[in-house]
Amino acid sequence: MTRRQTDGHRDEPRVRARQQEALADLGQRALAGMKLDHLLYEAAATAARELETEYAAVLELTRDRRGLLVRAGCGLPDGVLGAVVPAGPHEMPGYALQSDGPVVVENFDGESRFEPTTLQRTFEVVSAMVAPIGVRGRHFGVIGVHSPAPRHFTNDDAHFLQALANVLGAATERALHDERVRDSEARFRELADTTPALMWMTDAEGHVAFVNQGWLRFTGHSLAQELGHGFDLTAHPDDRDELVAHWRKTILRREEFRFEYRLARHDGTYRWVLAVGTPRLVEGEFVGYVGTATDIHERRTMEEALRESEAGFRDLADTAPAMIWTTDENGLVTFVNEGWLRFTGTTLEEELGATWTLGVHPDDAEELQASWDEAVAQRRRWEREYRLRGQDQRYRWIADRGVPNYAGGRFVGYVGTAIDIHERKTMEGRLLEVYQQEHRIAETLQRSLLPERLPKVEGLELAARYLPAGQETAIGGDWYDVLERADGRVALVVGDVVGHGLRAAATMGQLRNACRAYGLVEASPAEVVARLNRLVTSGVEEAMATVLYLVLDRETGEVVFTSAGHPPPLLVAPEGARYLEGGRSVPVGAADSAVFREGMAVLPPGSSLLLYTDGLVERRDVPLQRRLDELALAAGAPEDDLERLCDRILGGVLGDPSPIDDVALLAVRPEPVAADRFDLSLPAEPGSLVVLRRRLGRFLHAAGASQAEAYEVTLTVCEAAGNAIEHAYGPGDATFDVAAAFEDGELVATVRDNGSWRERRSQHRGRGLAIIKGLMDDVEVAAEDRGTVVRMRRRLAA
Amino acid sequence: MTTPTEIAVERRGGAIVAHLGGEVDMTNAGQVRDELLSSVPNDVLAVVIDLSGCRYLDSAGIEVVFDMARRLRRRRQELRLSLPPSSPLKRLLDLTEVASAAPVYETLDAALDE
Repeated sequence: MTRRQTDGHRDEPRVRARQQEALADLGQRALAGMKLDHLLYEAAATAARELETEYAAVLELTRDRRGLLVRAGCGLPDGVLGAVVPAGPHEMPGYALQSDGPVVVENFDGESRFEPTTLQRTFEVVSAMVAPIGVRGRHFGVIGVHSPAPRHFTNDDAHFLQALANVLGAATERALHDERVRDSEARFRELADTTPALMWMTDAEGHVAFVNQGWLRFTGHSLAQELGHGFDLTAHPDDRDELVAHWRKTILRREEFRFEYRLARHDGTYRWVLAVGTPRLVEGEFVGYVGTATDIHERRTMEEALRESEAGFRDLADTAPAMIWTTDENGLVTFVNEGWLRFTGTTLEEELGATWTLGVHPDDAEELQASWDEAVAQRRRWEREYRLRGQDQRYRWIADRGVPNYAGGRFVGYVGTAIDIHERKTMEGRLLEVYQQEHRIAETLQRSLLPERLPKVEGLELAARYLPAGQETAIGGDWYDVLERADGRVALVVGDVVGHGLRAAATMGQLRNACRAYGLVEASPAEVVARLNRLVTSGVEEAMATVLYLVLDRETGEVVFTSAGHPPPLLVAPEGARYLEGGRSVPVGAADSAVFREGMAVLPPGSSLLLYTDGLVERRDVPLQRRLDELALAAGAPEDDLERLCDRILGGVLGDPSPIDDVALLAVRPEPVAADRFDLSLPAEPGSLVVLRRRLGRFLHAAGASQAEAYEVTLTVCEAAGNAIEHAYGPGDATFDVAAAFEDGELVATVRDNGSWRERRSQHRGRGLAIIKGLMDDVEVAAEDRGTVVRMRRRLAA
Repeated sequence: MTTPTEIAVERRGGAIVAHLGGEVDMTNAGQVRDELLSSVPNDVLAVVIDLSGCRYLDSAGIEVVFDMARRLRRRRQELRLSLPPSSPLKRLLDLTEVASAAPVYETLDAALDE
């Protein structure tokens, strides 16, 4: 091992020039897209060479950001790679990350700030310099040079190392971005393979990056056969040119893609599909398209067939009508031809006279007679489609038309023609069915973007409904969400992205995720919504959305909410329903300097809260206020079951089973709490403490305890329960019971376990009993047959 | 199931302020302690734990305070607590004589002024 003593022998200007050259070289390699691992090695080698140290290493922060992994090195034996050192602030790497700048140790001997890392110790490092890689908050790791001989590092040396680190920072950011793209694609794949639809994804150049299982089943290809190609590979030769041209145009403009073409099926036949795609953005950068293909073959072929038979119908009517009839001026049948009789299997005698409903389907007869009577009275032209019984006793659809007949200027009756339209009619019915089927696929997609089921939230009853728009096959942008915050409060969200289609759905997905992330860290609803607004107005994607974000305190029933252009939440209290006022602002995405306000309310005991999107209350031609009044009325009647309440509201307010816009409805109700008694049995495990705290907190609040009293009582009960949990041994100790009730105005709480009371060895448990005794007026610990009972008394101020 | 908590650390001059939000109990006390300790750099003189956003603290949480004070004292760093007098946690802190290990201030500014 050579130990260079270079200090003082270096020609500084020349060293600087060389360092700059080395830096430029590495920068170029990074720009040229050198693989990250190679780049890290190059950087380590460059650092060791230019700074003339024995060792250099690049360390990467571990996922939990508590450790640093040796990712690349120079001069290090192989075994060191993959080793992990702690990222604590008392060692150089951790400190460099924390201070976000280069750190130098001239000599560990006499160094008071840092301990050498285990690796530095192994290699008997005396002098070292470490610089952080990446920007604060998104650090990748550190790069360091280490010397077993004492070294002096100049300011220029420190700048050089930091500059190297910055080159790596840029390269790792890009690698990380690629990884995020891969992550989002992996999530998409997971989702895609579970939906029945055909789904696809392309890269930014328009080549197939992924197709789902549904697609592969359809085409009979393997994934490898599809990847990297364009869609022309599987398109019908006649459709190819147009498809490719349309695709090129769309991708250049990054517009929504929409195209009907014939797709090759595994059996060699071609099926008409509708391909719809939307641009994919990861952190604002266009990375390709994601889309679906829907089998519309039946619809296409049927539309074509319909066109043909309609043409046939016109021919028929113009030339030789198959069924002909005449009436007198009173509308009584005077003649039917052979064609008619052949169809019905009746005789001429049977048909003459007032026989209009003879053989007509019962469901059509009444309307037919009425329309005929009216036409005759006014001597107007008459035309109807109805079902007529044929000679085989089966009903067939016919189109019947009667024209007033005049002889010498005098009205003498009607001449009529009828044709069999049964095939066309039944095709229409099937056509409608096919449309509905397509719609169901869109709905499946929409649902897969919504939470599959609501989370279980201790102390809350939750119910949600999502109804897709009835008429369009487009996917809407409504969403709802529920999340539990660290402070014990629960956030409820309902939002509505303006627009329809995959783009709205994609924006919805983005906003929903962003809302979840912000909701976890931000306590204030106005701030969560303001952040959403900043996200949208920062130009990632042009979008506008209305959002209602509400935070509920389960103990006190207090709600704080912000409504960004969204209809107000409806409070359904036992004495009636009313809308919560306040907290109203403009929609998210409407203005980048928007100010968001907060409204507050307290839910009375036994009440529920409804959050919904405007599809529930908006109707053309009906003033919004009237719709809101109707909703309040429909929700107002008492209802124990939240699910039934949702059903009743949807039934009562919408009426029509297929709404014109998407409808999302989220209902929440704090579980009723008895204020006189509390009884709970829980498994003897630490996780039970949270449940106990939440429930006891609600009981104490309902019983009128102040916030401080509620906390102190909860704390003491939990300390006693904690003891029971720590002492739980075998299956006999599996549960503990907590009871609380009032005796002569005094709160009496008991915690009963199935073991014997032992003071725990650890010190904080010693504090536990002191806390119980200090905060309660009276405490008894008694050994009973089954276990230990701690009985505590406390007089509440209220 | 462990109790949810949030720790946000900021540097204020020669001190570190750790805002302890959410709840601390026996299920997460160890984790809270490790996280707090690892966020203390060598060059600060004082660490202030801001308890104004803390909704629940039990004996395990109190033990974290005593333990941290002891460890920091060895590094010649001082632990201080900031707790508004209206906090429900007030009586618990009095009762356990936490102030003997870490002085308690009514405001964050007062804790930083020392």
